[in-house]
Amino acid sequence: MDELLKELHELEEMMLQCMKCGTCQSDCPLYRTDGRESSVARGKISLLQSVYEGRIENAGRILKHLDQCLLCTRCLKACPSGVKTDEIFLRGREVLRRIKKLPKWQKLILKTAMEKPELMARMAPLMHMGLKFGSKKIKDGIYRPMIPGLGGRNVVEIKSEAFVKKYGGLNRADNEIMRVVFYPGCAVNLIYTEWGTAVVEVLRHFGVSVYVPETNICCGIPAASMGELEMYRNAVKANYDALAVYKDAAYIITSCPTCRYGLYEMGPKQTGAECPLTVVDILVFLEEILSVRLQTGAEGRSTIHFPCHYQDSKKGLVENFVRSSTNTEYMKLDNQSCCGFAGTFSIKYYERSKGFSRSKIEEMKDKKTDKVYIPCPGCAMQLADAAAREGLDAEVTHPVTELYNFIKEIK
Amino acid sequence: MLSKNLIAKFAEIAGKNVWTEEEDLMCYAYDASFGEMCVPEIVVKPETAEQVGRIVRLCCEENIPLVTRGAGTNLSGGTLPIKGGCVLLMSGLNKILEINTEDMYAVVQSGVITADLAMAVSAKGLLYPPDPGSMKMSTIGGNVAENAGGLRALKYGVTGDYVMGTKFFDIEGNAVIAGGKTVKMVTGFNLSGLMISSEGLLGVMTEHTLKLVPQPQASRSMLVIYDDLMKASVTVSEIIGAKITPATLELMDRFTIKTVEEGTRIGLPTDADGLLLIEVDGHPAAVEDEYAKIKEICNKLGGKVHIAETLEERDKLWEARRKALSSLARLKPTLILEDATVPRSRIPEMMQCIKDITVKYDLTVGTFGHAGDGNLHPTILTDKRNKDEMVRVEKAIDEIFASALKLEGTISGEHGIGSAKAKYLESEVGAGTIRFMKKLKDGLDPKNLLNPHKMGL
Ligand SMILES: Cc1cc2nc3c(=O)[nH]c(=O)nc-3n(C[C@H](O)[C@H](O)[C@H](O)COP(=O)(O)OP(=O)(O)OC[C@H]3O[C@@H](n4cnc5c(N)ncnc54)[C@H](O)[C@@H]3O)c2cc1C
Ligand code: SF4
Ligand code: SF4
Repeated sequence: MDELLKELHELEEMMLQCMKCGTCQSDCPLYRTDGRESSVARGKISLLQSVYEGRIENAGRILKHLDQCLLCTRCLKACPSGVKTDEIFLRGREVLRRIKKLPKWQKLILKTAMEKPELMARMAPLMHMGLKFGSKKIKDGIYRPMIPGLGGRNVVEIKSEAFVKKYGGLNRADNEIMRVVFYPGCAVNLIYTEWGTAVVEVLRHFGVSVYVPETNICCGIPAASMGELEMYRNAVKANYDALAVYKDAAYIITSCPTCRYGLYEMGPKQTGAECPLTVVDILVFLEEILSVRLQTGAEGRSTIHFPCHYQDSKKGLVENFVRSSTNTEYMKLDNQSCCGFAGTFSIKYYERSKGFSRSKIEEMKDKKTDKVYIPCPGCAMQLADAAAREGLDAEVTHPVTELYNFIKEIK
Repeated sequence: MLSKNLIAKFAEIAGKNVWTEEEDLMCYAYDASFGEMCVPEIVVKPETAEQVGRIVRLCCEENIPLVTRGAGTNLSGGTLPIKGGCVLLMSGLNKILEINTEDMYAVVQSGVITADLAMAVSAKGLLYPPDPGSMKMSTIGGNVAENAGGLRALKYGVTGDYVMGTKFFDIEGNAVIAGGKTVKMVTGFNLSGLMISSEGLLGVMTEHTLKLVPQPQASRSMLVIYDDLMKASVTVSEIIGAKITPATLELMDRFTIKTVEEGTRIGLPTDADGLLLIEVDGHPAAVEDEYAKIKEICNKLGGKVHIAETLEERDKLWEARRKALSSLARLKPTLILEDATVPRSRIPEMMQCIKDITVKYDLTVGTFGHAGDGNLHPTILTDKRNKDEMVRVEKAIDEIFASALKLEGTISGEHGIGSAKAKYLESEVGAGTIRFMKKLKDGLDPKNLLNPHKMGL
């Protein structure tokens, strides 16, 4: 307990910055659904303070409130005082977690994903099979599993071959103007492999050679969100070491905003180490660095879901991209909330997380959208599940796949 | 600790929305004020007005102090459960019941978030003018109970000016209907008026009928830069003196300008001593006319006028104002935002007083505020762990309020009295007024269960 208090005290400096103004209520998706202080940043910070100031003895009890957070960073962005809510919650969880240990099965999956990435890739065909046997195919690539543990969630197919198996190594462009590293992250490596293909092929088309690491090491954010910060730090450092090898690459490209956040924003803060290269989202890279102008033939009524971890300053860029590179009629969503996936949140609190995605799908139904562009695989999984559940027949995809489809056609 | 039996009675009314666990209670032991934590014994979140009435009655029968809470954004300790008891959350009553565009009113439940109402109204082509800085999180009930004002208060008035009717429960749980939907209404006492600024001491409000107005057709914004803050203050008095009422007229001092610019790089002149942000709105012809006159006054007093030509430029200017509080908040761990208000012709004197007090007590203070309505926010930056400095802070606050009163002002322009300013109340209104308020409170709530100890009552 003394040890714990000491560590909480280290958070004190950060937490003192919170003046309890309540501004964080304005955008917190959890608070907007339940109106309770324990959901919102101000309440969570007060709870942590109550522990170290001795008003709450049983620190373990507040863990559930800290756990029930999407880590969507909306409070971080809204906070006038610049309270680093994301850091406070991550570290707070780490400390409190020591009291209440993680369930064994969660730890096992985590450990495998973090520490034996090759094993994950090798297990892909197995998981692929397992999913097929244990579930019912309800749509192309979407399955309703019969495994009770998943709570009836529709899952996106796990591919029989991991992305890095096929693309690992240097993928040379014909008229090479530069080299980059593509960091697929677990979801693209195992599930949305076609996004990975699109990224590599589109880059090659524009003269960019792409290194794909032979082994995909998880960015570590899932571990962090479960309060296993040490595991996260190790993952970040392992990634930095692995990525430092690509000395002639100019950037690290990713198609997962959470990976970018984990490696490039939170990573340095938690490890004190620097990421060897600048990490850029694929759309930002295409627009800002390559200045790509391509008019694909994509049609229909489209909308965009903006992932929480997508850089705020670049959200307009995604809209521009969809507007200028497709022929779709773009309908902006009024509901700009989190999709509810939030890494492990949707596994632990599936019922609650369903509420967030449901309200988004309702609006998409109202607006009759048949294409949902999502530049994040996690959000795509969540909304693909919700769309299947709520009966919205819409294609859920990354904008870069449109470019790839187009390039394939003209070749 | 409430007995199991009593807790069950609450649960009978509000179902699972009743909390008594330590960690849940701790989440309602504070609000946005700078005050000590006070822990309640039970927290309930009713979802219908009928449930509210039953909870109030239960508290009355069982002698449980009752604190109504909207979003807890008040800056005066108004929602601190000083005597423990029950915190009643209004966030469950969050429905907009009607927006009537013909008769121009809206009917809303008390827990509706102000910005949600403003957006719904604007989608129907009308305007709900009260726009407190906290509108994205504060509730209509809290706005009425605090009579919240906003950036547009100068021209459009404060929340109280838009309340046509209010439904509430008295402490015995009797339903009271005050006012209604007609523009004129003189049936009995003006009970809606009584509820405005009542700070949860007289009853629990559940529903409000609010006046709406047409949206202004045109507007123009400008930023005016001064090398002498006093000249900016004089400009304010002169604009008002010329019988022009801008929609907004905001002031910022040198320290605030510098801080905002360092934090945001909007392009504010960091060598300026003060600046004004002015917006006029209304009929296009009137807007052009007023705007030309204001420009002349500003120029005469040495202000350099920058006009927002596009919507983006306008947004940028307002961003500077919106970022004032946040930029200051990042400098030090503890921020104390005060709310001294004077008749607007006395703004220059008040600004001087604040300057002098800052020097006298050797404090870091940034001042900005709604200069047009005389409402200034001297914002003290400190660290509550620095005991020595906190003593000086306290003295400075005493003096700021004393100065405001000397200038025929008030100790609260918009943030209420609550527990934080209770000790100053008598110095402004006198012992007779306190007695009158006390008798009123005793008559309506003889056991003093409704938000006890607030306003010193
Ligand atoms: C960043 C920031 C900016 C702000 N800007 C402004 C501003 O520009 N102008 C301004 O006037 N204020 C401002 N405030 C103060 C505050 O937001 C307002 O006073 C607001 O009206 C409070 O609303 P609330 O819903 O948070 O009420 P709360 O803080 O929850 O409650 C305030 C008082 O009202 C009572 N109350 C609440 N609901 C009811 C009800 N249904 N029935 C009876 N009593 C009730 C409570 O008991 C309490 O006494 C600001 C605050 C912050 C933190
Ligand atoms: S917005 Fe920031 S300072 Fe305000 S209550 Fe939330 S965390 Fe604290
Ligand atoms: S990270 Fe998101 S869900 Fe968590 S407290 Fe902040 S706003 Fe709410």
